[in-house]
Amino acid sequence: MDAYLIAIAIITAIYVLLALGLNLQYGLTGIVNFGHVGFFCVGAYTTAILSEHGVPLVVSFPLAAVLAMAFAWPLGLVSIRLREDYFAIVSLGFSEVVRLVATSERWLTNGVQGIAGIPKLFAGWLTGPAQSYAVLGLLVAFNALAILAMLRIVRSPFGRMIEAIRDNEEAVKALGKDPAGFKIQVLVLGAALAGLAGAVYAHYIGYISPEQFLPLITFQIWMAIIMGGVGRISGALVGAGILMLFLEGSRFLRDVMPFISEVSMASVRLGVVGLALILFTMYRPQGLMGDFTRK
Amino acid sequence: MTLAIQGLTKAYGGLHVVNDVRFEVPSGALVGVIGPNGAGKSTLFSLITGFLAADAGDVSFEGRSLGRASPMERARAGMVRTFQVPREFSHLTVRENLLAAAPGQSGERLIDTFFRPGRVKAEEAAIAREAAETIDFLRLAKVADVPAGRLSGGQKKLVELGRALMTGARMILLDEPFAGVNPVLIEELSVRIRELNGRGIGFLIIEHDLAALNKLVSTLHVMDRGVLIASGAPAEVLGNPRVRDAYLGGAAA
Ligand SMILES: Nc1ncnc2c1ncn2[C@@H]1O[C@H](COP(=O)(O)OP(=O)(O)OP(=O)(O)O)[C@@H](O)[C@H]1O
Ligand SMILES: [Mg+2]
Repeated sequence: MDAYLIAIAIITAIYVLLALGLNLQYGLTGIVNFGHVGFFCVGAYTTAILSEHGVPLVVSFPLAAVLAMAFAWPLGLVSIRLREDYFAIVSLGFSEVVRLVATSERWLTNGVQGIAGIPKLFAGWLTGPAQSYAVLGLLVAFNALAILAMLRIVRSPFGRMIEAIRDNEEAVKALGKDPAGFKIQVLVLGAALAGLAGAVYAHYIGYISPEQFLPLITFQIWMAIIMGGVGRISGALVGAGILMLFLEGSRFLRDVMPFISEVSMASVRLGVVGLALILFTMYRPQGLMGDFTRK
Repeated sequence: MTLAIQGLTKAYGGLHVVNDVRFEVPSGALVGVIGPNGAGKSTLFSLITGFLAADAGDVSFEGRSLGRASPMERARAGMVRTFQVPREFSHLTVRENLLAAAPGQSGERLIDTFFRPGRVKAEEAAIAREAAETIDFLRLAKVADVPAGRLSGGQKKLVELGRALMTGARMILLDEPFAGVNPVLIEELSVRIRELNGRGIGFLIIEHDLAALNKLVSTLHVMDRGVLIASGAPAEVLGNPRVRDAYLGGAAA
């Protein structure tokens, strides 16, 4: 496989990890999280800053997930009881606050210049293609673990309850069960996956700056799960794949449309993904892998 | 006294939808609430079960004042309601709807799901037996594994009742349980409700099917425009001219 394809596979796998978390939150539980990128950002910066101070990856990786969870928990505590559209706005605001803090707290994050020279994964053991394969392997392992855990959850009474919450929160209350407690746990779990994704991303790219964590990332993940199939674990996998296909495939649009400048190309590519999303919601609203009726 | 409704009041704007309603439901009683459309019956249920905050008045259940207790706390205290417009878990099967209603499941804790699967499984098996019995009891066996969203209106009402039964509540408030249910099944349901009542479960039932309700309950409370206008034995209450007026007034309006 040539380097370009491996690189795409790695980025796709990072998107899958993000999409799994969002699908757990929205697809299974009905939490409208518009701030997913915030947890991704926290994970990336956590491991980057710790690595700068010589903390080994085996420590900084789990801490990236833990810190993302530590941000999600209070966010859930204060705002998960809001109506879902309000929570959507609060979560979007949260991710922007995270990005602004990363921009302005220069002593910690080096501001807009970002953090460069983040150690590569498996540096010192592997180089070149072998290293990329190892990163991909690690991501596959993370995704596999996440999927196994989610399958376990979906088939458990906990999973039944979060789907009940998605379907009718008032009825859950009428049965004496508190939807908020379940939703906070789900928010925290999804954040852990996003934090982990952020950690892999930081060490893979080697350089992070605030502008890599725009709300656009959140909405790309949303597009992925909508195109793949909301509430289905396979939907996250397939959706992330389609998203990459459009994002990367549209690169080659330049070959057929040479009159478009490099700068406008970014917008054109986004337009292509947007168009795909519109077509999907028109002709296959349940996503490629089917609706969220069954897991 | 199991359930005491003490002057519950709720107004929207200037309109008193429920106005100083007070009555008591003795433990293990079967009591009906009737009244024309818009009388405030469902609102009363929401006030009793904490889904709406009362402007005035209180509810006490088994001797404990519920004050500002949340709907969850009230349900856990043993008082569970159903909804007039069914609120089924539409993507869950009928069986899963019932299973979800069972209280105190350790499998609803992530820790136990991952680290005590044996215990979760054993509990789940016990709940599954109970759910299967309830499904048979409600004649839902044919649709037990169909997503509840695909059921008919009457079947959804049965799912609501089934969930309430699964909670182990000692007092169940049913909001029009017979709406959309076929007459034969209404007869059967009445028999089963009486049977459950014999085991000590109290029922407070809103119902427009007066014929079916009268055969079931020992006491009727009549509401009109937010006010309790009559209470007593069904035959006596239905002979009351004020009650007749309320219904005819409603029909004429
Ligand atoms: N949120 C609200 N705002 C304003 N008015 C309301 C609100 N909720 C209910 N009402 C009014 O309160 C009155 C009582 O409603 P409620 O649903 O309790 O009646 P009901 O006795 O259950 O009627 P039905 O037999 O038709 O179910 C109605 O006139 C209704 O329009
Ligand atoms: Mg009503």
